[in-house]
Amino acid sequence: MAEPLEIAGISASPGIAVGPAHLATQMAPVAVGSRNTSAAERHDLQEAIAAAIAELTALAERSDEESAGILDFQIEMLLDPALMGIAEERLAAGDGAALAWVGALDLYIAGIAAAPDEQVRARAVDVIDIRNRVLGALTGKPIGDFPPGSVFVGKDLEPSLFLAHDWTDGGGVVLFDGSVSSHVAMLARTRSIPMVVATGPFEIDGGERVLVDAIAATVVVAPDDTRIRKTEARAGPAGAAVKLDAGGLAHTIDGAEIRLSAIINDPAELAVVDASSFAGIGLMRTEFLVGSPANALNEEKHYAIYREALRWAGAAPVTIRMLDLGGDKTLPGIGGKSSDSFMGLRGVRLLLARPELARVQARALLRAAAHGNLEVLLPMITVPGEIDAMRAIFEEEAADLLRRGTEIRMPEIGMMVEVPAAALTLDGFSNAAFFSFGTNDLAQYVMAAARGSSAVAGLYDAAAPVVCRLIAQGVERANAMKRPIGICGEMASDPRHLPALLAAGLRHFSVAPNCIADVRSAIAGLRSNGLPAAERN
Amino acid sequence: MMDSRPRKETTEVAEVHGYCQTEIEVTHGFGLHARPSVTFTRLAKSFPCTVEIAVNGSDVWLNGKSIVKIMGAKIRRGSVLKIRAHGLRAAEAIVALKALIERNFDEEKKHGRTA
Repeated sequence: MAEPLEIAGISASPGIAVGPAHLATQMAPVAVGSRNTSAAERHDLQEAIAAAIAELTALAERSDEESAGILDFQIEMLLDPALMGIAEERLAAGDGAALAWVGALDLYIAGIAAAPDEQVRARAVDVIDIRNRVLGALTGKPIGDFPPGSVFVGKDLEPSLFLAHDWTDGGGVVLFDGSVSSHVAMLARTRSIPMVVATGPFEIDGGERVLVDAIAATVVVAPDDTRIRKTEARAGPAGAAVKLDAGGLAHTIDGAEIRLSAIINDPAELAVVDASSFAGIGLMRTEFLVGSPANALNEEKHYAIYREALRWAGAAPVTIRMLDLGGDKTLPGIGGKSSDSFMGLRGVRLLLARPELARVQARALLRAAAHGNLEVLLPMITVPGEIDAMRAIFEEEAADLLRRGTEIRMPEIGMMVEVPAAALTLDGFSNAAFFSFGTNDLAQYVMAAARGSSAVAGLYDAAAPVVCRLIAQGVERANAMKRPIGICGEMASDPRHLPALLAAGLRHFSVAPNCIADVRSAIAGLRSNGLPAAERN
Repeated sequence: MMDSRPRKETTEVAEVHGYCQTEIEVTHGFGLHARPSVTFTRLAKSFPCTVEIAVNGSDVWLNGKSIVKIMGAKIRRGSVLKIRAHGLRAAEAIVALKALIERNFDEEKKHGRTA
C-alpha cells in the first residue's frame, strides 16, 4: 500500500478530525449567450439578488449573534445598488445575467484578493459567497450542503455554507488557500471545528478518508488506523475533545487554561450580557454611582447593585472596584481639581483622604459579601500602607455592623497594579489578596504620556512592550507569592495584544463583554507562550 | 481673501450651502472592514445629504453610502479618510460619521472607559 500523503498547512482552528473528504463543488460553467433582452436579464439578476437576500436573512435569524453579524455584511452588500451597477455595463453589452454577474463580481473579488492587507484579503471569500449564492438563485442550483461528519476540502469555504452546515457529527475543514483571519476561521474556532488552511492544492478523491490534525497543522490523506490512533493519543484531551468551553474558560492550543471574566461598567449591562460566557466579573466599576453625590453616599443603593451582580454571577467571583474618582472622573463637591488630575488625589488616595465615601462603600461591600463570592479591588495603590489603611476601615465598619447584628463577611481585598512603583515592587504587597493589572493607567504613567492627549498618542501607543515587560515581572513575583494575578485593562480585550500577554504569563483576563468572542477565538489559535498554532515545527 | 482660521482645524462647515468636509485617520484595530463598514454605511444612509469619502489623499470620491464602494477602497488601519457631505443636514452627518470612527465604530460600545 502506498504511503499516505501528508501535507503541511497552517492551523486556523485547533483539534483533530477524521472523516470522508467532501470536495468543494466547482460552480458550473456559466452559459455565455443570453436568450433574452438585456432588460429581461437585468430583471432575472434583480430577482436572484432578492432571493439571495431572503435566504441569508433566514439563515441569520437562526444563527447566533456573531454569525448573524457576518451574514449582515453580506446582506448589506446585496442591498447596495452599486453591486447591480457593476454588472450593468456587461448586461448592456448583451451578456446574460449569470455571465454579467460572475464577470463583474470576479473582477471586484480579484481587487480585494490583491490587497496588501491580510484583513482586507480575508474578506474576498465573503464576496465569493455572495457571488455563488446569487448565481445559485439564477441557475436554479442552490449552493449544496455536504454530508454531516465529512471533511470539507477546497480552495476556500464560504461563511454561509459553513453556517448552513450541521456540524453536530463533527468533521473538519481543509483549505488550499484560506486565511486564519477569515470569517470562516473565526466561526470554526468558536464552534471547535478543526481547520487547516494554506495547504496548497493536493490530489484527493471525494469520499477518501482524511485526517485533519489542526494541532500539528497537517493533513493526512488515507491515513491508516494506527496513524489516527497515534494522532488522537498524542493530542490527548486537548485534541479531539477541544471545546471552546463556555463558563468563562478558554484553552490555548497546548492546553493552558485561561480564565475569562467580564468587565462591567454599568449595572444595566448585567441584563444584556450572558453570564454563562464568563468566569464571573473581573472588574465591576462603581463610578456609575457617582452621577450624583447623593447616590455615591447611599449605602442601600450600593448594596442593591452588588447583590444584583452576585446574583448574575452565581457561584463565580465578582470583583468590585471601589470608587476610582479623581483624574478624569470627578464628582461634584468631591475629588481633586483638574490641576492635580492624574498625578494627584485619585483612586484610593481620595478614598483615604475622604473616608466618609469609603465607609459607605465598605459597609455595602461587607453586607453584600455575605451573599456571594465578592472580592474588593482597590484602585491606584502605590504603597502597601494604603491597603492596610483601607483594611482598617473595613474592620472598623465590620465591627460596627456586627454589633448591630447585621450579617456580613470580610471579603478578600486585592489591588490594581497601575502605578509603576507598585508594579515594580509587588513582592512588598503581601497584604494584597490578589493583583489586577490596569494597563491603561500603567501605560500612561510609565510612558509619561497622558492617555487623552493626541499630541503624545504615539508614545502612548508604544507602551505595549514596556507594559508587557512589567507584567512579566509582576506575574513571576505573584506566582512566587502564590497570589492570583490578572489583567483588566483594555489591552486584554484586543486580540492583537494577546500573544504578548500570554507570553508574559497571564492566565486570567477581564474583557469587555462585546469582545469576548474575538478574545476567545484568538486564544484558541495560540500556544501558551503566545506563539501562533500555525506553522509546523 | 486669506482665511485666517488655523489650517490644522480640518472640519470645515458652511451650513448655508449644506456642505461640510472633514479628515480623519482610521486608527483603530480593523479599519473599515466587515462589521465597521456596515455600521458606517448604515449611519451615512440615515442622512438625506450625499456622503462621499476619499482615501489617503486620492481625488477619487466614493459614495459613502455604498458598502460595495467602501470595501473596494481597501481602507486599513492608518488610512486617512476625507469625508464630505452635500445637502440637507450635511454638517450633522459629518459630525456623526467622524464621531463613529473616533468611537471605533461602536465596537467597544459601553466599554470605552478605561481600567
